[in-house]
Amino acid sequence: MAFDALMANKMRTLLSMLGVIIGVSTVIAVVGIGIGAQEKINEQYKNMSVESILVMGGGGGGGGGGRQTASSKLKAGDVEVVMSDSENLRSGTASYSGNTEVSFGKFSESKSVIGVQNSFFSAVNLQLSTGELFTSQQYGSRDRIVILGDTIAKDLFGAEVSSAVGQIVSVSGKKFQVIGVLAKNGVSSRLASYDDSVFVPYLTAEKSILGSKGRIMLIFLANSVSVLPTAMEEISGILREHHKLKSTAEDDFRMFDAGSMVSSAQSSAQTLTILLTAVATIVLIVSGIGIMNVMFVTVVERTKEIGILKAIGAKKGDILLQFLLEAMMLSLLGGSIGIAVGESAIPLLNKLEGWYLVYSTTGVIIAFVFSVSVGIFFGFYPALKASRLDPVDALRSE
Amino acid sequence: MSSIIQMDGVQKSYFLSNGEKIPVLRGIDLEIQENEFVVLMGESGSGKSTLLNIIGCLHSVDSGKYVLGGQDITSLRDDTSLATIRNKMMGFIFQQFHLIQKMTALKNVALPGFYNGMSVSQRESKARQILTEIGLSDRMGHKPSELSGGQQQRVSIARALLNDPEIILADEPTGALDSKTGIEVMELFTEFRKRGKTIIMVTHTPEVAKYADRIIFLKDGKVVNHNYYHVSP
Repeated sequence: MAFDALMANKMRTLLSMLGVIIGVSTVIAVVGIGIGAQEKINEQYKNMSVESILVMGGGGGGGGGGRQTASSKLKAGDVEVVMSDSENLRSGTASYSGNTEVSFGKFSESKSVIGVQNSFFSAVNLQLSTGELFTSQQYGSRDRIVILGDTIAKDLFGAEVSSAVGQIVSVSGKKFQVIGVLAKNGVSSRLASYDDSVFVPYLTAEKSILGSKGRIMLIFLANSVSVLPTAMEEISGILREHHKLKSTAEDDFRMFDAGSMVSSAQSSAQTLTILLTAVATIVLIVSGIGIMNVMFVTVVERTKEIGILKAIGAKKGDILLQFLLEAMMLSLLGGSIGIAVGESAIPLLNKLEGWYLVYSTTGVIIAFVFSVSVGIFFGFYPALKASRLDPVDALRSE
Repeated sequence: MSSIIQMDGVQKSYFLSNGEKIPVLRGIDLEIQENEFVVLMGESGSGKSTLLNIIGCLHSVDSGKYVLGGQDITSLRDDTSLATIRNKMMGFIFQQFHLIQKMTALKNVALPGFYNGMSVSQRESKARQILTEIGLSDRMGHKPSELSGGQQQRVSIARALLNDPEIILADEPTGALDSKTGIEVMELFTEFRKRGKTIIMVTHTPEVAKYADRIIFLKDGKVVNHNYYHVSP
């Protein structure tokens, strides 16, 4: 009989803790996702100069995808036009990119191919790992030479990337000679990851590989961060004039600066975190109500015990503290289980496509504080009721 | 010998949920001496349990005067002071033992020490000592459900003694026991009296009442008679 009652209580305890367990593991995951997203953003943009300004075809101002409208007059020649008229830019370059088949031996996959102008690699902070970059003569040519990103080089030639130099790979069915391999960079542009791209001279991409299907992007570096807004206005003005747009017409290009790209990525990560935090908070509140419920039942069941304790000298405060501690222990136990569940869920969630969570002590501390406060907050009222019971009435109860 | 309890015209009423006032004590005049063994007797509803609860500071009085150990506590209402008096001056013994079921005999006995600020080792060594004196040294680790009625009552007696109170209050302590065990409990009470405790006991049983120095009869909330069995030493 006693054993049955104990089991019933265990079940009740477990059920009342379930909310806290779910809530706390959500908190752990939320913090993991938040910090993970932040780390990913920092990683993604760490090699990008904050002074850089990207200009792409297609109207409609900032934001949006990367599709170029047919009416865009943006072309590689615009770089020189802008550079010659501008006072706030220290360099400019252009790239022309798209996807095409890259193959070597049995390997054959659709990859991003980027046609680049002189100074592209320095503008986006790409370093050479082995081999050589294009010469200025090659930049202007239609030569079938290619520089491989780090990931793609490893896919094709294994970890020893220096063996790639001199090899012939097939790009869009044509034979290209590998002249260099880039160091791992981690940055992905709006279009593709540089590590998973191959680089060819600008004209080669435009004329021999992509034709009109490519997307053009101009990259400018402002003299300093402080002149960024001025520089962007300047570029816009020069391009509008050069494209002969009427003053009422919309821009036929879109412009971003690295700083606002980072901040927009950060704000979308933040939105996600806020959303998940809201969910976790609701779960914790509901779990708190569960705890309150169980504590009320406990107080009723133990009315007689409360009477006994008062008769032998327990003060109101002693009873209050005792029941408050029990509620706290309940939520703390649930919290600890929740922390364990949350932490062990992180590697599982990371196996999912597009998920990136990190372990953090911040998460554990937040979860811990959360569960204790849920216990105190929702345990307080039942504990107060217990402490206010009249000792004689309580002793008489069965 | 001085008086430890003095009551003058103590009144106490209960209110029913419909607001009706039920007077229980209608003016009690009473004096109990230190080291006296007093029995309260009377029909049910005569107010003897309420009187015991007032003496034990579980209830406050409505009107009249209650002086305990020279201190007027009539107007004492705050929980902390009353709880402290219950803890240090009073030892309660109940008919249904009122032990905490999930705790061992030892923990039950040690509990009043917790509210008296004693450390675990202090209160448990004291509890061990009392349980040994009372003949339960081999039952300390047992829970109440594993003990006989007589053993449970002795555990509750040991608990009442832990803080070495001046007054022992017993509400029908033999009511749930067979007569042989009841006599054993009364012999313990006689022993406490020899050690200087004041004992106030409610009972229905004349054989049990015989152990007392004096019987106070209550009827309809008033003291109607004092019967002295012994001359106080």
